[in-house]
Amino acid sequence: MSNITSVPGADVVPTPAAKSAGRKPTVKREVNALTGMAHIGLILWALATAGPLIWVVLASFKTNTEIFLGKPFALPASFSFKTYADAWTEAHVGRYFINSVIVVLLSTAGTMLLGSMSAYVLARYRFFGNRFIYYLFVSGLAFPTFMALGPLFYILRSMGLLGTYTGLVLVYIAYSLPFTVFFLAAFFKTLPYEIEEAATVDGASHTRKFFQIMMPMARSGLVSITIFNIVGQWNQYLLPLAIITGPGTDDKLLLTQGIAKISVSAGYHAEWSTLFAALTLSILPMIIVYAIFQRQIQAGLTAGAVK
Amino acid sequence: MTEIFKAAEVDRRTLLRRAAAVGLMATPAVGLLSACVGGGSDDNTKQSTGTKSADNPLGIDPKAGVEIIIFNGGLGTAYATDVDIPLFNKKWPDAKVTYSNTEQISTVVQPRINAGTPPDMINNSGSNLMDFGAIVKAGQAADLTDLFAAPSWDVAGKTVADTLVPGAIQQGTYDGKPFAMNYSFTVFGLWYNKKLFATKGWTVPTTWADFTALCDKIKAAGITPFGFAGANASYYMVRALLTSAAKIGTEQCLKDIDNLKPGAWTADPIMKAAQAWGEIGNKYINKTYLGLRHTEVQLQQDQDKLAFYPCGSWLENEQSKDTPPTFEYAVAAYPSVTTSDQLPATAINAAAGEIYFAAAKGKNPQGGKEYIRGMLSKEAALGFTKLTKSLTVVAGAADGQTISPGLTSANDLLGKAGKDVFMGYLFDTWYKKLDDESRAAANDLMFKGGDAAKFCQRMEAASQAVAKDSSVTKFTRS
Amino acid sequence: MRHGKYPFIIGFLVVPVALYCTFVVAAYLQAFQLSFTSWSGFGAIKYIGLENFHKLWNDDLFWKSLRHNLFLLILLPVVTVALALVIAFLLNVGGSSRGGQTRGVRGSKAYRIIFFFPQLLALAIVAVIFQRVFGPDKSGMINGLFPDSWDNWLFLADERWAMTCILIVLIWQAVGFYVVLFSAGMGSIPAEIYEAAALDGASRIKLFFRITIPLLWGTIQVAWVYLGIAAFDAFAVVNIMTVDRGGPNGATSVLSLMIWRNTFEFSQVGYASAIGVVLFFLTLTFAALTLRVTRRESLEA
Repeated sequence: MSNITSVPGADVVPTPAAKSAGRKPTVKREVNALTGMAHIGLILWALATAGPLIWVVLASFKTNTEIFLGKPFALPASFSFKTYADAWTEAHVGRYFINSVIVVLLSTAGTMLLGSMSAYVLARYRFFGNRFIYYLFVSGLAFPTFMALGPLFYILRSMGLLGTYTGLVLVYIAYSLPFTVFFLAAFFKTLPYEIEEAATVDGASHTRKFFQIMMPMARSGLVSITIFNIVGQWNQYLLPLAIITGPGTDDKLLLTQGIAKISVSAGYHAEWSTLFAALTLSILPMIIVYAIFQRQIQAGLTAGAVK
Repeated sequence: MTEIFKAAEVDRRTLLRRAAAVGLMATPAVGLLSACVGGGSDDNTKQSTGTKSADNPLGIDPKAGVEIIIFNGGLGTAYATDVDIPLFNKKWPDAKVTYSNTEQISTVVQPRINAGTPPDMINNSGSNLMDFGAIVKAGQAADLTDLFAAPSWDVAGKTVADTLVPGAIQQGTYDGKPFAMNYSFTVFGLWYNKKLFATKGWTVPTTWADFTALCDKIKAAGITPFGFAGANASYYMVRALLTSAAKIGTEQCLKDIDNLKPGAWTADPIMKAAQAWGEIGNKYINKTYLGLRHTEVQLQQDQDKLAFYPCGSWLENEQSKDTPPTFEYAVAAYPSVTTSDQLPATAINAAAGEIYFAAAKGKNPQGGKEYIRGMLSKEAALGFTKLTKSLTVVAGAADGQTISPGLTSANDLLGKAGKDVFMGYLFDTWYKKLDDESRAAANDLMFKGGDAAKFCQRMEAASQAVAKDSSVTKFTRS
Repeated sequence: MRHGKYPFIIGFLVVPVALYCTFVVAAYLQAFQLSFTSWSGFGAIKYIGLENFHKLWNDDLFWKSLRHNLFLLILLPVVTVALALVIAFLLNVGGSSRGGQTRGVRGSKAYRIIFFFPQLLALAIVAVIFQRVFGPDKSGMINGLFPDSWDNWLFLADERWAMTCILIVLIWQAVGFYVVLFSAGMGSIPAEIYEAAALDGASRIKLFFRITIPLLWGTIQVAWVYLGIAAFDAFAVVNIMTVDRGGPNGATSVLSLMIWRNTFEFSQVGYASAIGVVLFFLTLTFAALTLRVTRRESLEA
C-alpha cells in the first residue's frame, strides 16, 4: 500500500516521461498522481452526497425556528426523540413500510420475470412484429406517468381492481416493463451465441435454454436491473396515490404516500421536524439493507468478469 | 395478433396461456368503451330521500349514511371529528357518517366525481383544490337554495340565511344560485407583534405618510418593516394591493376586475395602489424574501425580524407552535392611501373561505346538505372557532368568548369597520391563469423595482387574454 | 431446429404484452384522445380538432418551457454520464495495481454505499432537501457556508440561475444510479484485458478511453437515452422547489409542469393532453435519434 501514502496529487502532474511504455517505477509515479486526485474527488463527492442527508437527520431534532433561521449544520438544542415517535404514529411509518415492502417485492419479482422473458425473446429471436413490440415497450418510457392517472382510474375501476394491491402490483409491473425491457434487451444482445448454439445441438428446449443457461449468464445485468426496479418502485408515489384511494384504504397506503401526507401537512401545520424524522425513518432501512447486501450485489454485478 | 392462432404445435400450457390472454384482452376492450373518461354512468344512482317535516326540513332519510371528506390543512380536522359529526349524530343517530380526510382534494375526489360516485359532502380546499367554477358548470354541485331557506339548527325562528354574516351566501353564488357554503370568515390586514410595538412605542398608522414614517423608524431599528413570501404566497401581496385599491375607489373597481372589464387593471385606483406599494417594496422589503416560503417569513416575524406581514386571521393558529411568549398577534387595517380615499381608514377586507358543498350526483346529497346545516348551527360554529381560532360566517357565534389575542384583535377590527367591510375579489378562484399572472406581477412589482405602470399593463393584457379565450368558462358578479 | 420457436416466443411475450397494453397503452391512447377536446376535467367532452395544438404554437410559455427542457437535455446526460464513468472507473480500476491485478481505490466499498444514497430518496424528498440547500438567506446550506460579509445568492429566486439549480439537483440524484450501472458493466469486462494492457504499460487514462468506454458503449448509450428522457420530465423537482411553480416569471417552467398545471389548476385537460402528445413525440424522437446516431457494432467477446 506504500504508493498510496503519497502527497495529494493535485500538484503532481504526470510528466511526459511517465507515459512511456513498460517501466514499473513510471507506472507507480503516475498511479500516485491519479490515486491522489481520485481520493480528493471521491471525498468531495461523498461530502456532497452525504451532506444533505446529515442535514435531514439533524433537522429531525430541531424546532422550526432552528431549521429556518439558524445555521444549517448547527447542532440541535435538544435531541428528543419525540419527533420520531410522532412520525411513527402519525405517519404510520411502521405499517406503511411493511405495505411498501410487500408491494415492491411482489412487483419486482413479477417485473423481472416478465421483463426478462420479453427482453430475451425480443433481443435474440427474429420474428414478424419484433421491432413493433420492442418500440411499443420503449415508447412507454416517453409517456409522462401522471398523464395516465386519470385513465388508469377508470380502467382499474372497470376491472374492479381499484383500491386493491392486485391492481397496484399489476400496474407497477406494467409501468416498469418499458425500462426493464429496454435495458435488458440491450444486455441480452451482448451475450455470446456459442454456448446457446451448443445447447441447442444438445437438444435443449428454448425454455430450458432460457432458464438454465441465459439467465445465469446474464446475472450481472439482472442484478443491476433488479436493484433499479426495487428502488424505482419503492419511490413510486403517483401511482399509489391514484389507485390506493377511497374509503377504507387508510391502512393500505404505501410509505411514499405517508411521507407525502406529512410533507403536505408540514406545509400547513408547520411540522417540519416530524417530516424529517419520517424521512430518516424511511431511508434508514434502505441504507442498512443496501449496506448488508452490498457484497452480494457487488459479486452479482461482477459475475461476468470471473471466467 | 392473428399469429397467436397460427402456430402448429400447441401444448396444453400454451393453450391455457392463449385463452387467458384473449380473455384479458377482451375485458379491457369492453372496459375501455365504458371506462372512457367522462362517459360515466349517467343513469342515476338511486339517491336517498325522506319525508320533509318541520324537524327534517331538507327531507333526508334518517337511516341513510352520509359520506364526507374533509381537507386536512391549516384548520386541521378536529372540528369535523370532535364537533360536527357528534352533533349530527345526536340528531340523526341512525345516519352513519363515513368520514375521511386528505391533503389532496383534487387528486382524490375529482376522479370520483367524474365516475359518478362522489362523496356526499366535500370540503374543497387546499392548494390542490378542485376548480369549483368548473364543477358548478358541469352540474356536479347541488343547489343549496333549500339549505339556506331551511330553519337554523339551533336558533329558533330564523332561517339559516338569517344567521349568517352579510355577503356569506353571495360568495358561493354562481349565476344567481348558491352552490357553495363558505364557512370560515377571515379578516385580512397587516399583522404585527403587539408586544413589540408596545415596547418600542410604535403606533399603528392610519395614513400612508404615517405608514412610511413608521417604516423608516422600524428600519432604523434593524427590523425589516414589511415583507411577504415571494416563493409561494405572493397572493397575500396581491390582496394587500387590491384592498388598498378598493379603499381608494370602493369595491366597484374590484368588481370590474372580476368581470374582466377592459381597462379595469389600468384604472386610477389600481395604479395609485400599485405606486404606493411599489415604493414600499423598493425601500423597505428584504430582497431575499422572493425566495422564501410563507412558513419561513412567518417564522422570521415570530422572531421579531419582520414587523408587518399581510395575511389573514388563520395566521395565529398556523404559527401557534412557534410563537414565543414575547409575541402577541394583532392586526391593523391597511392605512389610507390618499387623502381622497372613498372608504375610511377603518374599512377592512373580510371574506368567507373554505368551500363546503354537496355533490349533486352522490348517493345522499340531501344528507350532505343536512350535515352542512349542522355545521351552520351556533354550537358547531363556536366549537369550530375554539378549535381553529378562526371565525365562522355564523354571526355572533363567538361573541363574548376570549379565545386568543389575534382573534380578539380581528373581532375588534370588524367592530370598528362597521358596515365598511367588503368581500374583495373572486377572479383568483374563477380564472386560475389570471391568478397566476397576478402573483408573478406582484413579485416583480415589489422585488424588482416597483414599476406600477408595468404591473397594471401586464395584468390588463392578461385579463383581456382570458376574456378572449373561449375555452375558459366565464362568470360575472354584480 | 425451428420447431417450437413460435409457441415459445408467443408464450413468453403474451402475458407482459397483455399487461402492458391494458394498463399503459390504453391509458396513453385515452390521453391522446383527450388532446382533441376542450375538456375541463368535469362534465361533457367536446371535440375541437386541432385547436389545442394551434393554441400551443402561439403560447409563449410553451416555447420557454421547451427551451428549458432542451437546456436540461443537452447538459444532464453529458455531465451525469461523465461524472458516473469517472467515479465508477476510479472505484473499480483506479487503485494501485498489486501483482498485476487492478482494483479500485481504497475505501471503494464505503464510497459505493454513500454514493448510492441519493437514489434511495424519492425525487420529491430530494426537492425538499435542496430547497434548504439553495435557501436564499443565511440559513440556506450553501449561503451558510459563505463568510458573513458575502451577499446572499438568490439561487432559485434568481431568474438567471434557477434552471441551473434544477440541473444540479437532477445530476446529484442521478449519478449514483449510473455509477452502479457502469460498475456492473466494468465488472463484466474480463480482468485479463486490463492486465494485458497494464503490462504493456498503458496509463490509466489510456485504459479508460481505449478499453472501458468502447466496451461499455451499449450501456452508455442506454444511459444517455434514459437521462434524456428524464430531462424531458423534471416534474417533481420543479413543482416542489421553484418559486411560484415554474417561476420566477416562468424561468423554470418545463413542459411536464405545464401539463400538470393545466390539468389540475387551470382545468384545461384538453390543452394539457395536447402538450402531453407533443412531449411524447419529442421524447420518442430524441430516443430514436440517439440510438441511431450512436449505434456501433457490438463487439464480439
